[in-house]
Amino acid sequence: MQTNRLPLEGIRVADFTWFGAGPIYTQILANHGAQVVRVESQARIDGLRLAHPMPEGKYTLNVSGYYNNFNASKLSFTLNMKHPKAPAVALRLVAVSDIVAENYTPGTLEKWGLSYQRLQEVKPDIIMVRAPMQGGDGPHADFSGFGAVISPLAGISHLSGSPQRAPVGLGTNYTDYVINPGHAVIATLAALRYRNRTGKGQLLEVAQFESSVCVVGTAILDYTVNGRVQNRQGNRLPYAAPHGAYRCQGDDRWCVIAVFSDDQWRALCRAMDDPQWCHEERFDTLQGRKQNEDELDRLVEGWTSTRTAEEVMATLQAAGVAAGVVQNARDTLENDPHLKARGYYAYLDHPEAGRTAYDGPGFRLSKTPGKLQSPAPMMGEHTDRVCREVLQMDDEEIAQLVIEGILF
Amino acid sequence: MADPADTPLALDDIRVLDLAGEPGMYCGKLLAELGADVLKVEPPGGDPARRIGPFFHDEVAPSKSLYFFGLNSSKRAITLDIASADGQALLKRLAATADVVLETFPPGYLESIGLGYDTLSQIKPDIILCSISGFGQWGPHSHYSATDIVAVAMSGMMHLAGFPGEAPDQPYGNQAYYCASIQACTGILMALLHRDATGQGQQVEVSMQEALLMNQETAMQYWDIRKELRGRMGNERRLPAIGVYECQDGYVAFMVGVPGFGSPWPALMRWMVDEGKAEDLLEERWQNLFGQLDMRLVAEIYFGNDAELVATWVPRLAHIDEVLVRFIKNYTKAQLYAEGQRRGLLVAPVDTPQDLCVNPQLNYRRWFTPVEHPELATTITYPGPPYRLSETPWRIRRPPRIGEHNQEVYCGELGLSPEQLAALTDAGVI
Repeated sequence: MQTNRLPLEGIRVADFTWFGAGPIYTQILANHGAQVVRVESQARIDGLRLAHPMPEGKYTLNVSGYYNNFNASKLSFTLNMKHPKAPAVALRLVAVSDIVAENYTPGTLEKWGLSYQRLQEVKPDIIMVRAPMQGGDGPHADFSGFGAVISPLAGISHLSGSPQRAPVGLGTNYTDYVINPGHAVIATLAALRYRNRTGKGQLLEVAQFESSVCVVGTAILDYTVNGRVQNRQGNRLPYAAPHGAYRCQGDDRWCVIAVFSDDQWRALCRAMDDPQWCHEERFDTLQGRKQNEDELDRLVEGWTSTRTAEEVMATLQAAGVAAGVVQNARDTLENDPHLKARGYYAYLDHPEAGRTAYDGPGFRLSKTPGKLQSPAPMMGEHTDRVCREVLQMDDEEIAQLVIEGILF
Repeated sequence: MADPADTPLALDDIRVLDLAGEPGMYCGKLLAELGADVLKVEPPGGDPARRIGPFFHDEVAPSKSLYFFGLNSSKRAITLDIASADGQALLKRLAATADVVLETFPPGYLESIGLGYDTLSQIKPDIILCSISGFGQWGPHSHYSATDIVAVAMSGMMHLAGFPGEAPDQPYGNQAYYCASIQACTGILMALLHRDATGQGQQVEVSMQEALLMNQETAMQYWDIRKELRGRMGNERRLPAIGVYECQDGYVAFMVGVPGFGSPWPALMRWMVDEGKAEDLLEERWQNLFGQLDMRLVAEIYFGNDAELVATWVPRLAHIDEVLVRFIKNYTKAQLYAEGQRRGLLVAPVDTPQDLCVNPQLNYRRWFTPVEHPELATTITYPGPPYRLSETPWRIRRPPRIGEHNQEVYCGELGLSPEQLAALTDAGVI
C-alpha cells in the first residue's frame, strides 16, 4: 500500500548550492517531497547550465543534460545576490524554510549577510547545511576545488587502477554523485529528526574533502596502525582469484568475474566445461591461484574472449559464480533487461530539452517511494510563483524587484 | 563545535538490528555514529569479514581485522545462528525491540527462514526493514551473485575508469558497498521520518547496481541526448593543465584553464615566468593563442567533433603541454599544491594514505580520531567524521569483539538466565 504523503512533505529548502554535489543533495530531498527553491542568478550562472552534453546545435541555459539530471523536482528562483537589496529577499525565503543549503567558498554567505547566526534570527530552528570543499576553518579553508580534484586529494586516485599506470582516478568526479551528496542528506535527515523531537535546529558542515576520505578508510587504518602505504592493485584482491575484468567478443566488451572460494572456483571450471588446465594442481587452492595469477587470468580470458560478455555473465551466474558485464551507458539506459523491468530511469518532457532520461532514486521505499516530481526547471521558471506563493509578494512589489534588477 | 562527550545524539532513540554483511557494514556504522544503538548480529564464530585483511600488526586473527574495525566501529555485537529454530525465536524477540532491521542476504532468504517483512511487521507493526543486495529484491537479475566488482561493472561506472583499450578499473576499497550503504542509510532515515509522522513502518530496498548508476556522471546523458558513448580517457590530456602530471615525489592533478572551472591560463603562465621556466611560451604567438581559448573552443577541442579544429590545435596544445610537463617535474606535490592554490589555480596532490595523515588541513581540524582499544592495549587513529553536526556531533567507539554484548543483551535485556545463555552457547546457537 502506498500513501500519497512523502517523507519530506511540508519541508522547504532554500537551496543556494551549485554545480554537482550540492544540487544532487537537494534533489534527493526534492524527490522525497521537500519543496526545493533553487536560488540562481543570470549574474552568476551555475556552471553546469553551461556544461555538456547538450543537444546538437541547441546550446542554451536550459538544455544541459548534466544540469538537468541533478535538478529535477525543484523550483528555479532567480535572485541576484550581487545586488545590495537581494539578501533581504533571501532572508524572507529563509524565514519560511526549514533547511538552508550552500556549497560556496567559505565566507560567501557571510559576505551576503547570511551567516548561521543571522539565519537563526529570522528562523530560530533553521537547519543550515554547508558543504565547502575543505571545511570552514583551517589553513586550506580557502583552497579551491571541484569534484575533479577530490579523487586525487582524498586518496582515491592513488589507490585505484593499475600499479603500472599513472593514478588517473575513476574517469569522473566520483565523489560528487553519491558519496558527498549522500553524506549530506544523511546528516540533514538526522538533524530533521532531532528537530522534530526537540524543536532545535543546527548547523551542519559536510567538508567534501573529509567526507571523501571516509571511503578509503581501510587504507588509512593500514597506515596509522601498520605504517603501510597501500598502492594501486588494479582489479586484484589479496583474497580472491580469478578476480578482474576479462576481455570478451566485440569492441571494448568485458565481463568481470569474482571468485573467492574453492567452491566458486570449481563452479567456474564446470561452467567453462572443465578445460584441461582447470585440473592443474597449481590452481587447486587460492594460494596456488594467487601465485599463478597472470597465467590464470590469461587462461580465463582465453575462454571469455570467444564469447559475448552477456553470454559469459549468463553462463557463470547460472553456475552461481559472481560475474557481470562491464556495461556502458547505452547498456544501462537501453539494453539492461533488469533495469528496464525495474523502471530505474525516468523519461521527462522538458519545454526546451524535449523528452530526456533522468536517473531515478538510488533506494526505494515500499510505501512512500521517492520519484521525480517534475523536469529540471528552466532558469527563473518559478521566480514569479515563489514570489507569490512562498514570499507572499504582490504585483507591485514583484515589479519593483524586477525593475531594480534584483529578481535576475 | 561542542565537546562531543556532553552533547546529545541525533538518533539516540533508535535501535537497529544489524544482520548485514559487507555491503551494509558502513550503513550500520553511519547510524551508530549518529547515536543509534546498532546491534550487530553475527553468526557464531563471527562475521566472515573479520577474516579479511589488513590486520593489526599483520597478525591474522578475527579480532584484529582493520577492514572490519573501520566499518564496524560504534556498534554492539552479539552472536546468533539465525538458521536454527532457537536462533529464530531469539531474533524475533530482538526484532520486537528494534526500529530498524538491516540485512544483506540473498533476496528471499529471510522469508525462507520465516523472518521476512510480513513476519517482522506482525511482531513490530512499525518496523523498517532495509534490504541491500546486488540487484534488488525483484527483477530478472535479482538472484544474481554480486560482489563489489560485479556491481560497479553493471552500473556503468567501471566502463569509465582506466585507460582506453585496457581492462577497466575497479575503484579501490569496495565503493559499491559504500554507495549502497549510503543509499540505504538515507532510505532508512526517510522511512523513520515517515514513521514518526504516521506510525507506519515500511521496507527500504537498495540494489547496489541502482545505488551506483548516478556515478556514471554524464555518460548516460551523452548517450541519451547525443548518441555518443563516453569511454575511458586514461591520462589523455586534450588540453594542457587538465589531467594528472608526474612531479618530483609522485603525481599532481591540474585543472587549470577551463572557464568556470578554476583559474585561467595567464595565472599559470605568470607562475612559470616567475620561476624562469616558461621557455618559448613567452613568445607572442603563444600568448595570443591563450586569448583564443574560450569556453566554446575548449569544448570543441575537448569533444573532438570538428576534425579540422582539432588538427590545428592539437599540435600547438601538445607543445604547451610538453613545457608544462618539464615545469612540473621540478617540484614536489606539496610545493605545487601550496603555490598553485596561492596563485588561485586548481591544483591538487595525488595523495597517498601517508600524505592524508600529515595533511595540515585535516590535522588542523582534528579530523583523524583516536579510539581506545583496551583489548589490544593501544589507541588506534581512525578516519574521522563524514559530517559535523553542531548540536548532535558524530561520535565513535571501538568496534565490538565477537559476542562482546551477548550477556548484556541476552541476559540483561531479554531476561535469559546465565544457565540458558550457557546452554544456547554450548548448542552453537549463540
